[in-house]
Amino acid sequence: MEQPVQTETWKAQSLEELVRILHRIFAEDKVSVEEVQALMESYESNPEEWLQYAKFDQYRYTRNLVDNGNGKFNLMILCWGEGHGSSIHDHTDSHCFMKILQGNLKETLFEWPEKKGNGEMAKKSERVLRENQCAYINDSIGLHRVENISHTESAVSLHLYSPPFDSCNTFDQRTGHKHKVKMTFYSQFGERTLC
Amino acid sequence: LPAGLSQWFPALEVLDVSGTGLAELGAELLALPRLHTLLAKNNRLGGPGSLPKGLGQAPLGRSLRVLNLSGNRFAEVPPALLGLRGLQSLSLGGNRLHGIPPEIQELRSLEFLYLGGNFITSIPPELANLPSLNYLVLCDNKIQSIPPQLAQLHSLRSLSLHNNLLTYLPREIINLVHLEELSLRGNPLVVRFVRDLTYNPPSLQELAGRTIKTRNVPYAPSDLPENLVRYLSLASNCPNPKCGGVYFDSCVRQIKFVDFCGKYRLPLMHYLCSPECSSPCSSASQSSTSQSESDSEDEASVAARRMQKVLLG
Repeated sequence: MEQPVQTETWKAQSLEELVRILHRIFAEDKVSVEEVQALMESYESNPEEWLQYAKFDQYRYTRNLVDNGNGKFNLMILCWGEGHGSSIHDHTDSHCFMKILQGNLKETLFEWPEKKGNGEMAKKSERVLRENQCAYINDSIGLHRVENISHTESAVSLHLYSPPFDSCNTFDQRTGHKHKVKMTFYSQFGERTLC
Repeated sequence: LPAGLSQWFPALEVLDVSGTGLAELGAELLALPRLHTLLAKNNRLGGPGSLPKGLGQAPLGRSLRVLNLSGNRFAEVPPALLGLRGLQSLSLGGNRLHGIPPEIQELRSLEFLYLGGNFITSIPPELANLPSLNYLVLCDNKIQSIPPQLAQLHSLRSLSLHNNLLTYLPREIINLVHLEELSLRGNPLVVRFVRDLTYNPPSLQELAGRTIKTRNVPYAPSDLPENLVRYLSLASNCPNPKCGGVYFDSCVRQIKFVDFCGKYRLPLMHYLCSPECSSPCSSASQSSTSQSESDSEDEASVAARRMQKVLLG
């Protein structure tokens, strides 16, 4: 039986302060999901503070590392052009927080496919996340697909993953078959990474 | 837009009039010789006269590289913009387009074409004549089939087809060797082999046409009515290398499943001249389900390895 963690109500006034508070929270042995989610939501998106990390790619969404949390977490900014979306994926036993910094993102939740997955994957729910909202997911909740369904506006989101991971499984919606993929960063700390 | 625009700002390079409620972009823009990017998203453009006449010939027509008209009310691609020979990027996402005009091929410099979120039902083969196209977005439309000519877009790197009405793809799609992104989710793609695809026996005209072609019967335009001369020019070659036959309208449509990464099976449509023919995919004739489900290696293996990075979502 776990001891409830002392949860504080944080208000991050800037992206820098958000990162500082995250370092404090993750230095502890126990971290509360609700605390992190509330902290992420409390930060009011200010493009001036994150524009340097928001590098878009014409063909697909990009992952831009902001902070590597002393190994405890990865904080990154994802940039979604019009119509860009992800595959259905899991989170390799990690916690995933996703906060909208600009625009809107549609999140579709899926059930894990059956062991002998050979049918269409079952959709659990879907919602459109608005600016400054923060969503949370982990493998026990399910799988999801994230997409920018707008044909006129791009979208930017702030993601926190703990512990950090660099590979996950993508799933074929029609059959439930999974496929391991390695994830890479389009840029790190504001610098474009070439691979 | 103010009438004196080109006199006050002759060096203007980027103009963003998005979200201003404009119902037309007028002639004030034509004389801006340095304008390369024009963004006019989320306005009320779409009626006749939305774009100024003579756009292609004006100084603006030569300088414009990027044009974004997404989130407006266009029911057809405005003919005025088809003269923009230097245009590299065009977005008409989120409008009311029901089709794409074949004249789209006149946009010779086009690299980026965004047509997602419209009501497009079919794609003209002329789209394949854009030599520099590397990003094509057709998601969220009502497209039922992809013309095989699209495989001629050799420089295509990203093709977005999700949320349409596709049941299969033309087999030529695996020739797109530079394709890195392909989205197909939200299409009613055929999953299982369809056993009984109906075969309409060829008409007498077709049989005569086939004989003329395969036996090289000589003919001149003066020998035949114009419509038959045109008909004979449309003969397609049967892909069965052992057949060497031709067909016109009557062919067997056969779906073959091609494996990608051993995980995703794409239904590709093969056209064969008769039920006795077999596609290049298999060496033996096929009539059984198991045959067609298992013989995907030859044609697919080479292309599949190239397309392994393709995210099929």
